[in-house]
Amino acid sequence: MSERPTGFTETTEAEVRAAFDATGYVADDEIVTTTALSLRLGKPLLVEGEPGAGKTELAKVLANGFDTDLVRLQCYEGLTAESALYEWNYTKQLLSVQTADTGGGPGEGVDGPGSAGGADPSVFTEEYLLERPLLRALRADGDRPPVLLIDEVDRADEEFEALLLEVLSEFQVTIPELGTVRASTPPAVVITSNRTRGLSDALKRRCLFLHVEPPSFEKERAILERRVPELDTAVAAELCAAVGRLREEPLLKPPGAAETIDWARAVAVLRDGSDEPLDPETVRTTLGCLLKEVEDVERVDDDLLGSLLAAATEVDA
Amino acid sequence: MSPGRNGFDGSDGNGAPLAAASDHVRDELVRFVRALRRAGVEVPANAGVTAGRGLADVGLDDPDRVRVALRASLVADARDRPTFERLFEAFWRRLGAGPDAADAAGWTDDGPDGGLASFGAEPAASESGEGGEGDEDERDETLAERHVGAVVGRETAAADGDGATTARYSPNGRRTAVSAARADHEFGTAFDALTKSLATLSGRRWRAGGDERPDVRRALRASVATGGTVAELPRRRRTRSELRACLLVDVSRSVLDVVDRSFLLEFLRHAHEAWREARVFFFDDDLREVTSAFDAPDERALDALSRAETEWGGGTRIGGSFARLHERASDAVSRDSVVFVVSDGLEMGDVETLEREAAWLSRRARAVFWLNPLAASPEFEPTARGMAAALPYLDGLFAFAGPDDLAELARQLDRQGRHGRIGYEYDPRRVEATDERRNTS
Repeated sequence: MSERPTGFTETTEAEVRAAFDATGYVADDEIVTTTALSLRLGKPLLVEGEPGAGKTELAKVLANGFDTDLVRLQCYEGLTAESALYEWNYTKQLLSVQTADTGGGPGEGVDGPGSAGGADPSVFTEEYLLERPLLRALRADGDRPPVLLIDEVDRADEEFEALLLEVLSEFQVTIPELGTVRASTPPAVVITSNRTRGLSDALKRRCLFLHVEPPSFEKERAILERRVPELDTAVAAELCAAVGRLREEPLLKPPGAAETIDWARAVAVLRDGSDEPLDPETVRTTLGCLLKEVEDVERVDDDLLGSLLAAATEVDA
Repeated sequence: MSPGRNGFDGSDGNGAPLAAASDHVRDELVRFVRALRRAGVEVPANAGVTAGRGLADVGLDDPDRVRVALRASLVADARDRPTFERLFEAFWRRLGAGPDAADAAGWTDDGPDGGLASFGAEPAASESGEGGEGDEDERDETLAERHVGAVVGRETAAADGDGATTARYSPNGRRTAVSAARADHEFGTAFDALTKSLATLSGRRWRAGGDERPDVRRALRASVATGGTVAELPRRRRTRSELRACLLVDVSRSVLDVVDRSFLLEFLRHAHEAWREARVFFFDDDLREVTSAFDAPDERALDALSRAETEWGGGTRIGGSFARLHERASDAVSRDSVVFVVSDGLEMGDVETLEREAAWLSRRARAVFWLNPLAASPEFEPTARGMAAALPYLDGLFAFAGPDDLAELARQLDRQGRHGRIGYEYDPRRVEATDERRNTS
């Protein structure tokens, strides 16, 4: 992994904390210190944890907090180098070649005379290059390097992981027709994983690790206070208790912090600032914000609903 | 962040002579990394260097920040955190004691093994309620792949009332010798069809369609019809021909009395050989990985099983076994893997545990199929406690008595897909037998 300055080498923990605070991201000391260390050492940060724990959000708030661009690469099964790195605009190339063949003359591109760079008849130039996220992150020319978010890397294939290693090792990529593109200041890299498959040792070796635990009751309540300020504090505590109780059930998709925020917003809108305790009707009608699987919603029968409300009541007590 | 440079690069935060302090910190860090590895933590190869840089950055004033820096550098798997925490206490104490104390106490590093022996015996280990060595033994038993020679488990008396009243299908069944069966054409065809219908990974061959790469050859061929103009750019994609699987095989007596063992072993061996990855686990009241037993070709694998005098046929704790998989080998199940559970669903343990772990399997795997030898009977209904609890979390429950059942599984998947109406209840043989029964009565 590159040891060159990343534009973040002088970042202090206080700055990282301020960035989190400014965007309402509740982060404990471990998250702050590890993130700061990753920025200072110029190492990618591999964030693992359950879905909805705030892994992706971490990268977003980092970009917001440091007032720089966020370049996001969402991984998926079958993701290829063309989709992640760069691609040639084949259609434009073909049109350009045909234009030249039919009398347009070399160097007269599809956009008019001189558009293809004057005397260069090649169709493998910047003009025909389509930047994809990884290349965009390497070529960014802002005051500060961007934050590159490689989201859910475990969804991609091992072959793509190998490509990623190549790029992250030197923060450069060679395009045969153009030459080597090297980042003047490498981006800050955040890689997230849901641990649906093991990652290669080579990738792990290049990263610092951060395990984001499911939020505790207190942390979740603090998240709601920051993210849903319109919700009454007591009601927020009730929601957190109910969600905690719900997570004890064997659900197909247990709700994460993101779902709790959605639920809290829905409840806040429905109750219009009321500080009355949660009622069964509100819980039942807003359950779709919390549970995304039909089987999970069906699991919430009257008994479980009573149990959720009991958990919420205990907080009040 | 105030870069405390203790012991690394200039200033001396502890008042000790700089060089000595620096060497001492480095030595202890190396010992700590080795201790983690010996305790079974998978520390990345160059993590020690990263940890050193991290220490140089955060300094040695605040143990919490040191802990975070080292954890971020050395612990790639969240499951290793308890081990890290336990060993960190010892590391921190020894670091604070200084090089002289280390020498006085005889803490010498005599190589990869000797130098760390004291780690496990540190007071911290016992304070935390975990003996260092015991911990290691436990890890050896659970993390390391155990060979089939280990005793799988004895019959355990079902202590709970539910277990005591559970019906057993063959209480007098005896263990019988396992014999090798040659793969016949029928089996091979059924197995290939199953592989094709379940393939989750891209192979090496390309085919038209998809959106992975431009298909230049087809584009050129098509452009002939339009005077050299390429109207659209066809693309191509890799074929899906590879499969990653996790096979969980119930070897309790109730299963072994009814399953065709030769067919079972043939299926496992084929899976091991043909699929990109097939990890095999046997379970009854505990779970162990036996993938390596299928590395040897044909009879040699069975000879190994025979020589090991494997004790098959205890009670069954399906939920507990799944929990053990979840806890110790969760990497065997991933988003692109298919899980096969071969079991009759007779649960002698806690059904709630089974429900919870089946939900986890369902969330984590591409698909979960339960292969039940009893489901081959037209009268079969999934009423066994374990079977009923696991059913909502399965993609399909199928019979498992012979190659015909594999072929039927593949046929249904081909026609309906994973999310279609599939399962034992849609097996035409069962429907036919049910109709016959109705007509005769």
